[in-house]
Amino acid sequence: MKRHFRELSVAAALLVVLLGLAIVAPAFFQPQPLLSLLTREAPTLVVACGMALVIISRQIDISVGSQFAVCSVCGGLLAAKGWPLPLVFLSSVLFGAIMGAVNGWLVAGLRLPSIVVTLATMVTWREALRWQRQGEFVNLPDGLQWVGLSQIAGQWTLILAALALLVLLALATKHLSAGRFVYAVGTDAEAARLAGIRPQLTIFFVFVFMGALVGLAAMMNVVQSPQVDPKSGSGLELKVIAAAVVGGVAVSGGRGKLWGVFVGLLLLACISPALTHLHIEAYWEKAIQGAIILLAVVADGLRTRKQRN
Amino acid sequence: MKKIISLLLVAGIAFVSGCGKSDSSNSGSTTPDGGKKITVALMPKSKGNAYFISCKKGADKAAKELGVDLVFDGPTDPDPAKQNEIVENWITLGVDAIAVACENREGISTALRKAKAKGIKVITYDADALPDAREFFVNQATPEGIGFTLMDEAARLCGNEGEFAIITASLTAGNMIEWQKHIEARRADKYPNMKMIALRPCDDLKDKAQSETTALLSANANLKCIMAICSPGVPGAAEAVKQAGKTGKVKVLGLGLPNENRRYVHDGVTDSVILWNTEDLGYLAVFAADSLAKGTLKTGDKTIKVGSMGEYQIEGDSILLGKPFIFNKANIDQFDF
Repeated sequence: MKRHFRELSVAAALLVVLLGLAIVAPAFFQPQPLLSLLTREAPTLVVACGMALVIISRQIDISVGSQFAVCSVCGGLLAAKGWPLPLVFLSSVLFGAIMGAVNGWLVAGLRLPSIVVTLATMVTWREALRWQRQGEFVNLPDGLQWVGLSQIAGQWTLILAALALLVLLALATKHLSAGRFVYAVGTDAEAARLAGIRPQLTIFFVFVFMGALVGLAAMMNVVQSPQVDPKSGSGLELKVIAAAVVGGVAVSGGRGKLWGVFVGLLLLACISPALTHLHIEAYWEKAIQGAIILLAVVADGLRTRKQRN
Repeated sequence: MKKIISLLLVAGIAFVSGCGKSDSSNSGSTTPDGGKKITVALMPKSKGNAYFISCKKGADKAAKELGVDLVFDGPTDPDPAKQNEIVENWITLGVDAIAVACENREGISTALRKAKAKGIKVITYDADALPDAREFFVNQATPEGIGFTLMDEAARLCGNEGEFAIITASLTAGNMIEWQKHIEARRADKYPNMKMIALRPCDDLKDKAQSETTALLSANANLKCIMAICSPGVPGAAEAVKQAGKTGKVKVLGLGLPNENRRYVHDGVTDSVILWNTEDLGYLAVFAADSLAKGTLKTGDKTIKVGSMGEYQIEGDSILLGKPFIFNKANIDQFDF
């Protein structure tokens, strides 16, 4: 119980918000819009899981939004060329992994700070895409939407796929040695090295894995509509970092649980539609989201201080 | 390791500098009767952009009717510095008139002033430079025209009464606030039974527009119409309406491009896409540049006679293209941009 205190308090906050909505705006719980909301967040959850691992290893990757856009457009173009869908998914994952490897090599290989490296790649990928597409949408062939299923079946498939990935990753970080390496490197890289772990190699693969997940998430988003917006994924990095931090992942590395990230993401994702249902002006949306993040960070800060004393 | 980095750097520089190659054709040829043929140089913000390719279609038509030489050149990607370079080239070539869609208002003005000083007639279209750097601006749409057309069209789709919501790019974007003012003015004046119930920002992203619209639809059971005033907002709103199974029950309209909305217009989700007629814009730009070079258009004129298209109003130094154009099921397939 005490080990999960941080995550449980976020879950409690989410419950309070949902209960409040149930009383004041029961229309929020209509099945179709709720299903749509969850489907929209499924790709975000996949990226947030990757980001949690990156932050746990005491790094950061702010280029995920740009990677997402590149994968979406490349995947979309391949699909428009008539490539079979599984191959398109695979290519997108590969593109993401390659971009992740670039980050990983610069951070782990050249020992450059990840904030600077991923800032550079964020701008580079985004501008390269702008130069290439000039903002033009990619129109996808018919039948690609919902991977050829009906809308409801497609939505459930995406949601369940994201949840399955979450559970698998949560188990893997706990029970596989690779998962424990990530925590060890984030807690104390030097101690990890002395224990026989290769911190730089671990960090490299964390970035590659992050990229691969972005590639998968990009396609999970592409199949939700008949066209690709080349600007898609703008601001995604902030959304997933916020979800991770609110969900209890320590910015100082080494601590955090994936299910907490899931709850954090749900809490943040609720805010915007909740405001619409409460007929509160949109001006408040970012302020409230910011306040939640601030609260989470302050709570973490106070806790570490208490532990130290 | 060092070698690889320097290689990457060189590749990067080559990549950046290779972005814009211009292909200006010759000018200064003469007409059969010996008089000097007029050369009009037309610059888009960027050459590959479908929007400007559509403008060029109209420009070509005007050039053919007028018998002028048309030079069409611009940066490969929107690049203010490259625009300056091309204007400098045109000054050297000695073209008669220049019409520019400016990427950067201040950035281009010095080069345009220089062209003016050399006796070249300068106008801007689509996006203006500083007023003293050009003689006329061909204004594709006034905020009033856009706001009024959007509101008129929304009222028509709703039968003059009911609730509607607006999706904007951001709550602080100057042009959108200006449009909203005119939308509200028109509503208050002509359609008192229409009620604006919500204004939501979509950060200029299609995906966010979809999420916002989904929430709007579930929170407001009586919503009759979604008006998106930023271009990614229109297909985003349409996708949300389609997924909610409210096609036809909730009308979608907005400012956008035909290609991004074609599918939804054909499916009956989106009713009207509003923009200006880009071909007419190119046509008018070339015509105005030519008239200025020939001396038939002067500062202070109140109208300009434009070949096959009749008379256009001039307000101060703005030549007005007139009312926005409405793309719908009937005409959208005639446009490809």
